[in-house]
Amino acid sequence: MRERLRVALKGSSRPRGNDSAFLLDPRSRAVPGRESMRRYRPDDAVDMLIVGAGAGGATLAQRLARSGWRVLVLEAGPFWDPDEDWVSDEAGSHHLYWTEERVIGGKDPVELGKNNSGRGVGGSMIHYAGFTPRFHPSDFDVRSRDGVAADWPIGYEDLKPHYERLERELPVAGELWPWGDPHGYPHAPHPVAGGALRAMAGARKLGIEMRVGPVGITNGSFGNRPHCIYRGFCLQGCKVGAKASPLVTHIPDALAHGVEVRADCMVTRVQSDESGRCTGVTYFHDGQERFQAAQAVTVAGYSIETPRLLLHSAGGRFPGGLGNQAGLLGRSIMVQGAPQVAGRFPEEMRMYKAPPPEISSEQFYETDPARGFLRGFSIQTVGPLPIGWAEHVLADGHWGQALREYMRDYNHWYAIGVLSELLPRAENRVTLAQETDRHGMPVARLDYTQCENDRANIAYAKRTLREILEAAGAQDILTIDRYAHLVGGCPMSHTPQTGVVDSDHKVWGVPNLFVCDGSVMPTQSAANPALTIMALASRLAQRLDDKRIDPGRGRGLLREDAAA
Amino acid sequence: MASPQTLATAEHLPKRGCDTTPGPPRQLPRQRAGTTPQMRGRYPDYDVLAAAAHWDAKTRRAVFERVACVPPIRFFDEQQERTLRVFCDVVMGQDSEPRIPVLEMVDTKLHAGRLDGFRHHDMPPDPQTWRQVAANLDRSARERGCTGGFADAGSEIQHEIVEGFSKGRLDWDLPVDKAWGVVMRGVLSAFYSHPWAWNEIGFGGPAYPRGYARLGAGQREHWESPPSFEVDPVGDVRERGLE
Repeated sequence: MRERLRVALKGSSRPRGNDSAFLLDPRSRAVPGRESMRRYRPDDAVDMLIVGAGAGGATLAQRLARSGWRVLVLEAGPFWDPDEDWVSDEAGSHHLYWTEERVIGGKDPVELGKNNSGRGVGGSMIHYAGFTPRFHPSDFDVRSRDGVAADWPIGYEDLKPHYERLERELPVAGELWPWGDPHGYPHAPHPVAGGALRAMAGARKLGIEMRVGPVGITNGSFGNRPHCIYRGFCLQGCKVGAKASPLVTHIPDALAHGVEVRADCMVTRVQSDESGRCTGVTYFHDGQERFQAAQAVTVAGYSIETPRLLLHSAGGRFPGGLGNQAGLLGRSIMVQGAPQVAGRFPEEMRMYKAPPPEISSEQFYETDPARGFLRGFSIQTVGPLPIGWAEHVLADGHWGQALREYMRDYNHWYAIGVLSELLPRAENRVTLAQETDRHGMPVARLDYTQCENDRANIAYAKRTLREILEAAGAQDILTIDRYAHLVGGCPMSHTPQTGVVDSDHKVWGVPNLFVCDGSVMPTQSAANPALTIMALASRLAQRLDDKRIDPGRGRGLLREDAAA
Repeated sequence: MASPQTLATAEHLPKRGCDTTPGPPRQLPRQRAGTTPQMRGRYPDYDVLAAAAHWDAKTRRAVFERVACVPPIRFFDEQQERTLRVFCDVVMGQDSEPRIPVLEMVDTKLHAGRLDGFRHHDMPPDPQTWRQVAANLDRSARERGCTGGFADAGSEIQHEIVEGFSKGRLDWDLPVDKAWGVVMRGVLSAFYSHPWAWNEIGFGGPAYPRGYARLGAGQREHWESPPSFEVDPVGDVRERGLE
């Protein structure tokens, strides 16, 4: 009752066990506590060493630190200061992306870099659009339902309490959500721009319901997090601090509880001993190779860098790489088909205003046999800025004066897109290429080819987008084919023969090595992965903490290890 | 004489049958405020840089540098520069001054070794791709009888070659469709990062920390400017004594 009264008077409730929003400095965007943060010596075997400070790594670090673990995070990219390091500009934001060399192949190659690969503290959530939907309960047993893809060794109910907790921490703004497991959001939906209203009206004519949100963008008072100013640069890093990323949602609290985040440290090898336990990692900082000891290691480098690191850590008892006994390490990489269709309207829409993530629909999310393919897609908005819009126009086949004409018409257009669930295939995989990077580490190669179900899904989704825009009164249509969101590569499985990690993210065959990022997902879903990666990390932290022998002395031994 | 058109219809758009042959587009007014590439645009009284006082200092510096500092060509050799300068003009329809220095911006990125984060397995690294594209453009021009190379070919042949390039229809020593993707990615991100291009298309600009407040269809912030389309450029120039 008291809590209800407080909410009625003061807005949404303060999340439990995470003070990040309240630790931020209202006068500056730099994360407080960085100068005074705890430092660990190289020979000090920390309870948990985490590789990567993105959605998985940062959330895990914050949770474990809250439970008294001694945690060190090594991050390949910089520790961002949004005031100093970021600009409100497309081309000037190139350094937010992982732009080092990677090789791509397959029949339907997936372009990497700015679309799907982040670096620095906060990871890809620094430049994600901001959509934070939950997965549907059906996502966790696709194989049992439809006979394709895989079943997860955990279910929706395992993640549900963590979804709820994280939605308060980000916090998520949106309408009451009728799809999947119906639920509400802590912050009210944001206002939407004219283009989104037109798209919603078009969808309604076809019987398609679209709702506002869900986005990890504050809509009202939330600690010292500023409100959104609708400038539309979500994909270039939120200088405002309104959009949720671990940099503002979990790192401040992590630092306050003794986590060291060591930035600009590229881990090249997880070291293991003769008994098969890992002992720490080798990394490069300022061009010098160093070693950091650890009781346990979690790799959270996402779907390209995590398999690359585990493959490159081969040796001793693990000739094919850590966790590769079944030969599945790096396999079943997934992306979502993410074509975008833009419509031209008589009035100016100026789609650069308001956050790119405005409205979405999950009406086509589940399998419908009448559509002729398995699984489905969600519909979302994208709000391309000028360079993004130019790439859209080019993809429709225009250059020279025609391209300039469509570009001059920018303000009359509005774009919507989909996320089509594409199925996992073993041959879509990360391997080590011949060439090496500046540290002498082989670069990753990603091969990707769609299957028939994938093509049918994308084609149907594109038709639906077109119909919505036509129903909304679009006078002309431009289409671009693209992908979004990497996941997979280290799938979670019931047995050591069918995956890379178990249901507790522990790498099969290595007692003190974990993977905690999007790479553990056995299926892709038609939802954006950020919230689910965070929820997985939150659940893993709880599992790790429940199993600890001796929390008081801060030793990261796990009960089953001690019994062995 | 073009039929009367307004922006409410879409009849000026290429897919609706509008003429997109080379040459300056009809009906566009001459720019009155600020600069646009070729001084044509849809928003003759809009200069995004006039709002720069409302931008944060870091963003302002990054955007103004693009206007003020045109770097020298350091990565491409003379022949490549000659060929690619014309290529950039053709693909962006830049047929007169003032031009956005697309090639200089691309050259700077390649000279600094900045990559985009991926390379197709059957393609050379991006910097090498650019050099090979230059050589292949010249070769395609010579095959069509222009001994001087692409830069000396007539506009018609240049457009024919670029059309083949864009459709992946040329017989070059690298995968043509992927090479088109590499070079156009560089060209477009240079051109549309330049505030002159923002003036041309009426983009509101960085807007940090000011933000946007008027989000509805047909609404504008007070500093944004209405479009104009039906102005007769000849009469307009004469009327305002710009000649």
